[in-house]
Amino acid sequence: MANVRNVISFEVLRNLRKKTFWFASIAPPILILAIIGITHASSRSANQASQQQAAAVTKDSKIAVLDETGVISKKTLIKEQLISEPTAQAGIAAVKNGSLSAFIYYPKNVTETGIQLYAQDRGISNPTPYNSLAAALLVDSAKARAVAAIRNSQIVQLLENEPTVTSTTYKNGSQTNDEADIIAPGIFLVAFLALVVLQAYLMITSTTEEKENRTAEMLLTSIKSRSLITGKILSLFILGLVQLLVIIVPLLIAYGLFRQHITLPGGVTLSRIPLDPKTIVFGALFFVGGAVVFTGFLVGFGSLFPSAQEAGRYLGLAIISAFLPIYAIGYILNSTHMLIVNLFTFFPLTAPTTLLIRNAIGTISVSEALVALAVVALSAVVAIMFAMKAFRYGAMEYGRRISVKELLH
Amino acid sequence: MVHDTPSVVDVESFGMNFGSKEVIKDLIFTVNKGEVFGFLGANGAGKTTTIRTLLGLYEPTRGKLLINGQRYSSDMSRVVGYLPEERGLYRNEPVIETMVYFAVLHGLDKNQARSRALSYLRRVGLTGKANERLVNLSGGQQQKIQLGVTILHEPELMVLDEPTEALDPVNRSLLMDIISERRSKGATVMLVTHRMEEVEQLCDRILLLKDGKAALYGTVGEVKDSFGSRVIALDYTGRLPGNDKLYKITKQLPHYAELHWREGISTDEVFGFLATDKAVHITSFEVRRPTLNDIFLELYKDQGAGDG
Repeated sequence: MANVRNVISFEVLRNLRKKTFWFASIAPPILILAIIGITHASSRSANQASQQQAAAVTKDSKIAVLDETGVISKKTLIKEQLISEPTAQAGIAAVKNGSLSAFIYYPKNVTETGIQLYAQDRGISNPTPYNSLAAALLVDSAKARAVAAIRNSQIVQLLENEPTVTSTTYKNGSQTNDEADIIAPGIFLVAFLALVVLQAYLMITSTTEEKENRTAEMLLTSIKSRSLITGKILSLFILGLVQLLVIIVPLLIAYGLFRQHITLPGGVTLSRIPLDPKTIVFGALFFVGGAVVFTGFLVGFGSLFPSAQEAGRYLGLAIISAFLPIYAIGYILNSTHMLIVNLFTFFPLTAPTTLLIRNAIGTISVSEALVALAVVALSAVVAIMFAMKAFRYGAMEYGRRISVKELLH
Repeated sequence: MVHDTPSVVDVESFGMNFGSKEVIKDLIFTVNKGEVFGFLGANGAGKTTTIRTLLGLYEPTRGKLLINGQRYSSDMSRVVGYLPEERGLYRNEPVIETMVYFAVLHGLDKNQARSRALSYLRRVGLTGKANERLVNLSGGQQQKIQLGVTILHEPELMVLDEPTEALDPVNRSLLMDIISERRSKGATVMLVTHRMEEVEQLCDRILLLKDGKAALYGTVGEVKDSFGSRVIALDYTGRLPGNDKLYKITKQLPHYAELHWREGISTDEVFGFLATDKAVHITSFEVRRPTLNDIFLELYKDQGAGDG
């Protein structure tokens, strides 16, 4: 035990001393925030520019309409400064010869055939701004006619504005808030995926340094491989928590400062996030178990390779296996009894993410969670044993990759 | 062979197979407390395999390898210091942190480890490098640090695989002194080296491994005697006669020659022949004991250079 502590102390401190550790911790969240910011700003700017351009183009354009439905009134056409075309052919010909900017044709059976729009091509970066005008013109006119024909004000309001829905749900007699209920257990899911992304490289290369530096032989005669690998796994876990804190603490500070401008899912405030002890305990256990499973397998897998460079090539596979359940989220949300969901729930490398999702959305029963937890715990033990054996065996094989077959022999 | 001193290392009927290849065949030897034991052999003879098995890194196919009467486990690392052939330390860590880490793993407390590490660095002239990253040190300096890591916890048994390899003569001499110091304090040393002058200088007993078997085993004197000598150095006047049946002249100067007598021929026969030849007058002679280097070369002459 003393040597496990010594390994943890050495590994944690030497990583905390590295600039690259802090860079790797701070860079991803900054990069993600920057990407979100740029995407948001760019989309907002593009929207504004598009709206301004559309307004300007529509204002300066010469647009003609042929309405065979009879829904759009002449008054509306005049108000919108639209010309009426006698035939579709004439309208299309006018667009072709450039005398019209656009021609909107509403066929008699518009509900079946849809609206037909003919317009001048303005290039890929300036898509035609008339589509929304064509649709709005017909819909608004139809609504206006319906409203005029109905005297019931509530029906009129329903036609003009979609009604809001306020839902109240109950589980076991207590009121629930589905969106808000996800927040607390969902944090474990986000934390787990962040841990995998931030730590995967450190995990898979954690023993290759000893092999590359030829330190393994001296270490293995000084300390049990069990103590060394346990110490390394725990130190990776601690370093992962440090990295998560580096991300979470600024977010919490920002939330504290700007909470009046931030609404969480379900419309709850930070102090009123629903805390269900069962989902939080299972979330925490799945998080810790999943972290150990992943770390163990990645440390062991990395031990099979002679260098960090070679081990690093397989990093993508590890990250994909953690994220695979996210791609199957549709099944996990709606069809918990499907084979694929059960496979993901109990396969060691996909289990943590699947279980954390199911725990967050409440589609896992206590009995199922306990069985899954036992599987995760067993997987964690197997992962640690695999890591120990891989390191012990692989440590003596300098410059050569060990196959799993050799390891099992 | 009977020894008064107790043994620290006992290797009994040790055999090792890698797949179908038998690399060690029924190896038996002991290393006695307080001695420097030379574990010799050409590359590929099985030295590293034996050491790795002794230190629990490999499982033996047959036989027992014991340290202080027990199979090695890392709990014994407090009394054993191992400098492997394939060695290295954390290249990007400060020297002092690496030394302290290994010393703590060997059972010292942190303060004691730091104090001994600084003292060792002073001893080998590297005080100023304590906080340098290892990668910034020269190869020789790194090797001194590696030896330091091996002996900082003052082990009872030091297993040193090529400790002076690639060192310049000054640093080699310094490291040999340090090893001698440890020995004078009662430590037992199992030394693997290809430098026969180091063996002659330091070792009490040796084992020469060839093809996974003990080819020669005993004190340096016993090994030399058992190997025998067939070289006579002569100072003479006159004309030295040739006699292919009795000897071959391997070196000849105007009044000095070295004769290598044929197998199965005795020195009496050689001197008897020379005494009857009136053309030569022997003024002095010496029947040479072979150096360990001669023995090594003779033993491996059929394998040539390179891997044995």
